[in-house]
Amino acid sequence: MSTTLDPNASPAAAPVKARGRVLPAPVTPPEIALIGVLVVLWIALAAATPAFLSAGSVIPLLVEVAPVALIGIGMTFVIITGGIDVSVAGAIMVCSVITGKLMRDNAIPLWLCLVVAVATGAVLGLFNGVLIAYGRVHAIIITFGTANLFLFIGLRIFGSTPIAGMPNTLAWFGRGVDGRTVGVPNSFAITVILTAIAWWYLRHTPGGRHFFAVGGDPVAARLAGIRVQRRILTAYVITGLLVGLASIFTLAKGTSNLDQSVGSGQELAVIAAVVIGGTSIMGGRGSVLGTLLGALLVQTVKSGVIQLGWPSQLSDLFVGVFIVVAVGTDLLRRRARREP
Amino acid sequence: MTADTAAPPAAPTPTGRSRADRILEAVLTQRIVLLAILIVVVVGWLMYLSANGYLSADYDFDYMSAVLIDAVPLALLAFAELVVIVSGRGGIDLSVGAMVSLIGMIFGFAYGQWGWPLPLAVLLAVVVGAVLGAVNGFLVARIGFPALIATLATYYAYKSIAMVINGQKPINSAQIQELYSLTKSVELPVIGPYIPNVPLGVFTFLIPVLVVLWLALGRGTYGRRLYAIGTNDVAARWAGVDVAATRMRAYVTSGVLSGLVAVYITAQFASARPDAGTAGNGLALPAITIAVLGGVAITGGIGRIAGVLLAALLIVWLNAGIILYFSGNTGTQFQLLALGVVLILAALLNGLTTRRFGGGD
Repeated sequence: MSTTLDPNASPAAAPVKARGRVLPAPVTPPEIALIGVLVVLWIALAAATPAFLSAGSVIPLLVEVAPVALIGIGMTFVIITGGIDVSVAGAIMVCSVITGKLMRDNAIPLWLCLVVAVATGAVLGLFNGVLIAYGRVHAIIITFGTANLFLFIGLRIFGSTPIAGMPNTLAWFGRGVDGRTVGVPNSFAITVILTAIAWWYLRHTPGGRHFFAVGGDPVAARLAGIRVQRRILTAYVITGLLVGLASIFTLAKGTSNLDQSVGSGQELAVIAAVVIGGTSIMGGRGSVLGTLLGALLVQTVKSGVIQLGWPSQLSDLFVGVFIVVAVGTDLLRRRARREP
Repeated sequence: MTADTAAPPAAPTPTGRSRADRILEAVLTQRIVLLAILIVVVVGWLMYLSANGYLSADYDFDYMSAVLIDAVPLALLAFAELVVIVSGRGGIDLSVGAMVSLIGMIFGFAYGQWGWPLPLAVLLAVVVGAVLGAVNGFLVARIGFPALIATLATYYAYKSIAMVINGQKPINSAQIQELYSLTKSVELPVIGPYIPNVPLGVFTFLIPVLVVLWLALGRGTYGRRLYAIGTNDVAARWAGVDVAATRMRAYVTSGVLSGLVAVYITAQFASARPDAGTAGNGLALPAITIAVLGGVAITGGIGRIAGVLLAALLIVWLNAGIILYFSGNTGTQFQLLALGVVLILAALLNGLTTRRFGGGD
């Protein structure tokens, strides 16, 4: 930040003074606002129901946040490039049903579960990515189509019955005592670490900045020498990889059963977290830190509604209101400053 | 979406083109021609399978007519998506399914519990639909929300209210159960004996909507304005079109059509269910699929009612055949496959024709 600000300088002149600084602030104003909302919510919920801040309530909350926030990282990449992926729910189903069946029938060890889930996710992501990057069709259409395909594949592998009696192989990622390191759930810790890596990659490496360039203006990005199609493909593969890992979290947090509803509604939950986190659906702008905060906010509202004894479906109403408020204030703020 | 800096390849020279070339171009660029061919192929193939005993029941004109009962809500919601997507600027309405759930519950209260007369209850459903659609329209057209975000938010909100409003319980009082007569099949006067019985909903819902929409979009000034803002809203503004009001009305139309579908689905299932439009995959996804299959360009400004209608018929008749070919749950699973494959192929074809012939249908 420049410290010698001329008080008479018009706002339009400011970018000239801050020459060479292309990065936005490490923590953007919407993210600070989100942190504020989260703190206020936590204080209010703690005051209303003293049990809210107990370990018995916070740890399940963090375990629930992990898969959404994790996929949210990939979805942030995708949305920054100007795309979207609504096939996440089906992909979660395929990854978890394959891993779950292998775990039950062949008792494969933990590392092999990870490899299988992540590899499956990568293949599904690659399929989306190739169609979108090289088929040159809008991402929402392709992923609506592949969402149906993935659901079909998942349901076919399920057969007609849920998978019952899975062994306890994945306890290290679960919500039990085995799944914690110094009190923090491992799945959430992994999510935070991966978010930090993605945050650094997107902000401080040329490769990361290319995603913003592609989303901001693909034609200009191509003229600047960026392989646009390859960047778009990469974003979907990253999402696929993270969907694979998130499926492991989903398998681990459940009981020994896995039924056909796995993943249902997750695609919209992830998109909601990304959007509340301040990433622009038009592409070219966004941050994974905001996504993590957005996922935390959504899950806080969900568990808060339940702990207050309200009907659990009411939380969706708050999610909708949060999306409108978050995106609306951003729109109005930009309009006031005459930014695009 | 993606960068396409290369100039479009020069259009094939008109001289010396064979008839086969022209037919190929018509099939690829005229979505209606392609869909008509596909319908004939699919129906013919299914009838062939039926004649050889591969299907668990007869696939004949009676059956095809009976399954039109499912085509009515699909087609109406696909029309809703047509209007919204054509309005441009990333137009899409993810909230139609949630609107159907919520309006269905309100209609259920009015008709099934408060004892309102049917016309008044239907009017209420349409008015509530217009209001819910106007919320979407206000966010998108006036404030400038991306449509995907605005309708995602209202999807959550409407779905939640529909669930909570009656404690997750459906309304199926005696009046609602008798509504089923609205959708049963009837024999037409005069020509009735010679053709299969047709579900009543086709005449009470589908055809009136079709006529009104065709008049408004194909023959009225509203259609001109809608296609203008969808093609280029800056140019439309310079041409004196009230862009915000026109786009707003597209979303209100979507809400009104959702209101009609809510009444229809309540009648069809003889019950107002809080998850009528959101259970499973929901209703929005198939509606968007059918609109795209019908040749509506997701970028706005392009799309015709006839194409969407044919796409709805194709999907409904294909699904009806799949259900007969596979038994039980397997059939619904293969319907997912069919919907997915058809959507992806239609989208890739749209892209291909745009590149090859510059601008599709």
